[in-house]
Amino acid sequence: MADAARWLDGNAVAGVLAEAFGEEMTAVERACDGCGAERPLGAYRAYLGAGVVLRCPACGATGLRIVALEDRISLSWSGGRAP
Amino acid sequence: MSEIIPEGSSAVTIVLDVPDWPRHHPGQHVDVRLTAEDGYQAQRSYSIASAPEDPRLELTVERLEDGEVSPYLAGELRAGDELELRGPVGGHFTWETTDGGPLLLVAGGSGLVPLMAMLRHRAAQASAVDARLLVSARTWDDVLYRAELGGLADVRVHVTLTRAQPPDWGGSARRVDADMLRELGPPAEQAPRVFVCGPTAFVERAADLLVELGHAPSAIRAERFGPTGA
Repeated sequence: MADAARWLDGNAVAGVLAEAFGEEMTAVERACDGCGAERPLGAYRAYLGAGVVLRCPACGATGLRIVALEDRISLSWSGGRAP
Repeated sequence: MSEIIPEGSSAVTIVLDVPDWPRHHPGQHVDVRLTAEDGYQAQRSYSIASAPEDPRLELTVERLEDGEVSPYLAGELRAGDELELRGPVGGHFTWETTDGGPLLLVAGGSGLVPLMAMLRHRAAQASAVDARLLVSARTWDDVLYRAELGGLADVRVHVTLTRAQPPDWGGSARRVDADMLRELGPPAEQAPRVFVCGPTAFVERAADLLVELGHAPSAIRAERFGPTGA
């Protein structure tokens, strides 16, 4: 439970994602390069800190990092492939 | 902001007139940004409670005593005040009557808000989609939209109160369990679209129970909420 309390669903950062990508992203499916699970970003686990880290809900592999800097938004995808 | 409607003792519904509001999908949310006089900004996500057919936008906000934004929204905000919104956002946790059913909605506390938008949309469309709703709350006072829930004639609603129950309480008085979900239905064989919303621990538990009952993990959409600065 202590761990569960640290993350939300990707839905929770829909606004951040929309700002970063310019369109709605939570329904977009992504295939994890760690385990191959195909899940929509809205079902990813969103870890919130100084930025947002989205992790695969099946295996926990990092899928996407988003950091909002003063003048830009920094995105980094980790692997992944189109499902 | 045009009106504030109290919902029990710890939540309010904020009614907003938003110029050029694009039609939202039931289940979506908005990000509300507050800016203090010193320029400090705080932003939180709130689920939309109203149906897309409703000309006004309604958000229901639960007051978190140690919250940064909710005490303001649920206590200080006055009619005529302006709010900065971003949205509607989210496409994963949404349901439209055209998506079909059956529909199984499981709410923990104020997790009822986005599910209510779905039921209000269903009613506005006069949809006959089979819909069931399970609401878990600590006390009767914590159950949002009580009067409206009672009036949902063709939706099977079950309420469980985990901490205290009024005299002559006819609902359940325990945490959500497999028996409760089984009794409410629909069974997994009917492949209902399942939406679970509530605090993280509640959603984890409910989703695990639903999977145990045979529901496909991919048919269960979850929205957990907790402390968030996003």
